[in-house]
Amino acid sequence: MRRRPFVGALAALVLAAGAWQLGEAVWIYLKARLAQHLLQRAWAQTLGGEVDVKPWPWADTWPVARLRVPGHGVDLIVLAGVSGRTLAFGPGHAGESAAAGAAGTVILSGHRDTHFRFLERLRAGDEIVVERPHRPRARYRVREAVVVDARSARIRTDEERLVLLTCYPFAAMTPRGPLRYVVIAEPAFTSAGSP
Amino acid sequence: MTIDTRSRMRLLAFAITVLVAGALSSAGAGDAAGAARMATAREGVRPRDVGEGALLWRTAGQDTLAPAPTLRTDVAITITGFIARVTVHQEFSNPSRDWAEGVYVFPLPETAAVDHLRLRVGERIIEGVVRERAAAKASYDAAKQQGKHASLVEQERPNVFTTSVANIPPGAPIVVEIEYQHTLAYDAGQFRLRFPMVVGPRFIPGTADPTPPDASGRGPSTDQVPDAARITPPVRDPARGAINPVSIRVLLAPGVPLSRLEAPYHAINTTRLGDGRYEIALADGTVPANRDFELMWEPAAAAAPTTALFTEATGGDVFAWLMVLPPNGPALDSARVAREVIFILDTSGSMHGASLEQAKAALALAVGRLTPEDRFNVIQFNSVTDAVFAEPRAATPGNQAVALRYVNALRASGGTVMLPALTRALDGQEYQGRLRQVIFLTDGGVGNEAELFAAIRERLGQSRLFTIGIGSAPNSHFMRQAARYGRGTFTYIGSTTEVGAKMEALFRKLEAPALTDLRVELPGVGEAEILPDPIPDLYLGEPVVVAWRAASLPAHVTLRGTLAGAEWQHVVPVQPEAGTGLAVHWARKKIAALLDQRQASPDAVRLAVIDVALKYHLVSPHTSLVAVDVTPARPDGADLRTHALETNLPEGWDYAAVFGLGQGATGAPLHVALGLIALVFGGVAYVLLRLELVRRAA
Repeated sequence: MRRRPFVGALAALVLAAGAWQLGEAVWIYLKARLAQHLLQRAWAQTLGGEVDVKPWPWADTWPVARLRVPGHGVDLIVLAGVSGRTLAFGPGHAGESAAAGAAGTVILSGHRDTHFRFLERLRAGDEIVVERPHRPRARYRVREAVVVDARSARIRTDEERLVLLTCYPFAAMTPRGPLRYVVIAEPAFTSAGSP
Repeated sequence: MTIDTRSRMRLLAFAITVLVAGALSSAGAGDAAGAARMATAREGVRPRDVGEGALLWRTAGQDTLAPAPTLRTDVAITITGFIARVTVHQEFSNPSRDWAEGVYVFPLPETAAVDHLRLRVGERIIEGVVRERAAAKASYDAAKQQGKHASLVEQERPNVFTTSVANIPPGAPIVVEIEYQHTLAYDAGQFRLRFPMVVGPRFIPGTADPTPPDASGRGPSTDQVPDAARITPPVRDPARGAINPVSIRVLLAPGVPLSRLEAPYHAINTTRLGDGRYEIALADGTVPANRDFELMWEPAAAAAPTTALFTEATGGDVFAWLMVLPPNGPALDSARVAREVIFILDTSGSMHGASLEQAKAALALAVGRLTPEDRFNVIQFNSVTDAVFAEPRAATPGNQAVALRYVNALRASGGTVMLPALTRALDGQEYQGRLRQVIFLTDGGVGNEAELFAAIRERLGQSRLFTIGIGSAPNSHFMRQAARYGRGTFTYIGSTTEVGAKMEALFRKLEAPALTDLRVELPGVGEAEILPDPIPDLYLGEPVVVAWRAASLPAHVTLRGTLAGAEWQHVVPVQPEAGTGLAVHWARKKIAALLDQRQASPDAVRLAVIDVALKYHLVSPHTSLVAVDVTPARPDGADLRTHALETNLPEGWDYAAVFGLGQGATGAPLHVALGLIALVFGGVAYVLLRLELVRRAA
């Protein structure tokens, strides 16, 4: 009867490991959600005229734009930079690309399993709205989506476009794969002078 | 323990192992599966091949991914005195079932004179010939179409070359041997030999050219870098392991007793041969081609050469190579002059990791050495340029502390947009009573060298530009040439442990006056072509090194120059020793000088370069080496696939920082999967345990 405590301990250990792994995942998802909530507040302050508002005191990033996809109920605050730390909290704006909403190609990156999961559902013609402080809204329409190899692909940055980047395939288990899913959207010229 | 329980436990443990391993491996296979799946069109979107140049893309959609040829390199270096003769033996193997063409972009020292190519097919050796670049390419292409073994070596930059090998048979190797020579760097009593191993990824500014490139680079060519596709080979993700093993053997005949002999960045085995020569090999046999090899040796103090003159007579001309270390170097004990020092720090993505740490350490030392009479500023650049102070300030302890805090907080990301930082530092103004020195710390990871050189030449004024190369594989051609146009010096720092010693040496140079307006006179010799022309300024500890071509030898050589405002002169008696390879060395310098002309028309330069290169059998930007076999080897009808060979990322570089526009995924799905598997198995074990308890109780 001595092996029974051993079997019991093993079962408990496996259960604990499972709980820990799930906890890690929950923490990642929770962080992604909670941060967006805090970011909405920082965004409101940014619209109020403050510059580079840090959403929490130790943050090394700040909101630069708001990304909305009305057809898919997406409403995200975009952060400055694309470091791993930044992308945990929201989609990031690549510093080397054009400023959000400005002329030129705007590049936004996000995680395929949190904020940018919706990229998979985007279809040609879907409308994307980018808001930024003190400037009119920029409206884009999805033109196409392509899969590229990040080791070899380059993105043209001379046209006025919005590029959304995430990892591919969406269902892959491990991060750090070489493929990227790239959604390319072009300016939508709807009714003239829309705010 | 009953057999029943024991076997059940084993089964449980086994099942957990299998499932966890299965989950992990299927997660790992996600990439490959994704690659295969991406050919399948999705509703509403149009997957499109934009990954030009990537190996997988050429074969995507086929049942099997054809593996690219692999490469191993053996390097044999023979050093005699000041000249190194190097044979690079590249063995291309083809593991696939198709005939293959391999294209490999690789670096050589920026002063390398490449003069031989041998293609080895089985027992036969086909010697390469130098031809005008387009003609060489045409003859290679023709051989490629006809199914013949052929090889082509082209020069893309003074330090970047491409080997193409056509018709590598399935499962068989082809060996290409390239031979070059170069002279050694001798500075502060130390000889240095560098063998670069990898062409680091470079930042390519400009607007992309829509026409497809003929080469297999990572990216398209641009208006500012028209040959970008040729100098950006595909880069291997370090997570997939390093490739391109290299072995190095050096036979060193220094001619004098040595007090030191070491390789700062690699472990080596040194054997002392009976005749005063040394045999050096890598301790590990081979290393991946991901960081430059350097060998340093120092003659014993009494034997340190102060003058060396070698001559070679060929084709009716006398070629000479002269090295003179001015006695005691330029004078040390001159009064200290107030300086204005502008530091430029590269904080682009390629500097991420060890490189930026080395640069920060070097900068901290440099700022700490300034005195309150000096003025300074720190400029940093990546995609944008920024400075700690709007205008240079006095180096008071307070300002130094502010600058150091600023430097410490810097992080590396973004592109290498170098021009605005350079133009900000080199403002072309007059600086009365001050030495103005610009110290530029970078890995030189740029492709638009020509544009930057032009800016340096135009805006230098009274400033002097000193470049410090950082990291495991800096673009030393860019930094050496930038320092030459900037009339300063180039320092290479390969590891953090060297920062102190190298910065100390550099500061001794910065603080001592330079020997300027150097001229070499060869009395009694009619017309002599002396190179380099003009001779660069000489800093403390540096020797004068010149090569010339003349009809005869002079009785003595006179050096004249200006040192700290006074006339300076030094007479060297001529006691020549016979040397070899001096004609090749002179011709290589001549080509560099021709390419350096600013006024001449590009066509005239091209013709002059071709003229010299053909006469002396050298690879140049306008001439290539080509070797073509006589009989076709590839059967008619068999396909030929072209592969751009991957290069390693230089050691210490961060893949995501260079290529990333961020990683697009978290570990959450993996955590969920592992968590669920563990919970299911824990649950099953728990239920089994309960059932057994119930059964026993009953």
